[in-house]
Amino acid sequence: MHDLIIIGAGPAGLSAAIYAIRKKLSVLVLSNGLSSQATNAHLVDNYLGLPEINGTELMEKFNSHARKLGAEIKKGWAVEKITVGDDSFKLLTDGGELEARALIIASGKKYRELDVPGAKDFERKGISYCATCDAPIFKDKVVAVVGGGDAGQDTAWQLTKYAKKIFLINKYPELRGQNKQMQENLKNNEKLEILNDCRITEVKGDVLLKSIKIKKGEEEEKEIEVQGLFVEIGSVPASYFSTGLLKLNDKEEIVVDKNNMTSQKGIFAAGDVTNIPYKQIIIAAGEGAKAALSVYEYLNNK
Amino acid sequence: MVKVYSTPTCPYCVTLKKFLKEKGIDFADIDVSSDENELKEMIEKSGQMGVPVVDIDGEIVVGFNRDKIMELLNIKEQ
Repeated sequence: MHDLIIIGAGPAGLSAAIYAIRKKLSVLVLSNGLSSQATNAHLVDNYLGLPEINGTELMEKFNSHARKLGAEIKKGWAVEKITVGDDSFKLLTDGGELEARALIIASGKKYRELDVPGAKDFERKGISYCATCDAPIFKDKVVAVVGGGDAGQDTAWQLTKYAKKIFLINKYPELRGQNKQMQENLKNNEKLEILNDCRITEVKGDVLLKSIKIKKGEEEEKEIEVQGLFVEIGSVPASYFSTGLLKLNDKEEIVVDKNNMTSQKGIFAAGDVTNIPYKQIIIAAGEGAKAALSVYEYLNNK
Repeated sequence: MVKVYSTPTCPYCVTLKKFLKEKGIDFADIDVSSDENELKEMIEKSGQMGVPVVDIDGEIVVGFNRDKIMELLNIKEQ
């Protein structure tokens, strides 16, 4: 049995691991194998001491720091269920059963997946959740972006450099978001067609994506041929294994007190999965450190 | 032979290539955004369109899967 199991290997989880190891706790870090959201950041320029670094590189630095101090990080171990015992917690994961005296949940947020028929079949086969990675592949091709918020607008703008035609599918009557200049630029770009009041109803293709069906208000469905579809419809806290066990708020974020304790004694949470405001890498890292110190105190006073 | 299919903008690709260089691995650096034939080859080999893809003597790794790449290249963690 470990003193502490940390669920999640992003900025919060790895920072918690470093603090816990330095307190001589026996620690295990579980990663579900998906990358942290920070990894996808094109450019991070607000992390103290490390200006202009890309997200993947920053995460590599966090990882190697934690490993150097002796952190054991198990990749590809997704947590399915947490059971509360008398003096410990049992974790059911797809790698086996584990047990710890305390837990830190630092599972972050994950992008919201497109939930329409066909969407699963064409993931990475035309459907992309990372414009920074995949936009250049669609040079001279016809693509669509679903999501009319800031992230969707930014993705559409990145694509204007490569694609020959871009449909921006927006479920609202007008584009929303903070960047008014961006919205002007998009409206004036001749490669770009904004489809307001529209949603995707189906995704079709053979081996690769070929077309999408869209529906505007109550009008008939329309099929448009596209080779790429970029999804930017927000993100959700990865708190699914806490449902029914921990108090969540209406955004499904785990509610924590100022010492990162959840509604269940002995289970702590940190970073983007919690109700702490401002989802930022440096804040997640700080919260992770705080959670680990709270765990140390909790285990000592037990 | 090691072949890396990537795009110039993808952060994972940059990190992956840097990682290989650090480990002293020689590789062919393929930019699929500027070569349609290489892009087709990557899709055929990997059955998908996302980058990066690494071809290590015919074994295909999709994404920057550090552990898998280290295993296939027989690199030990120092």
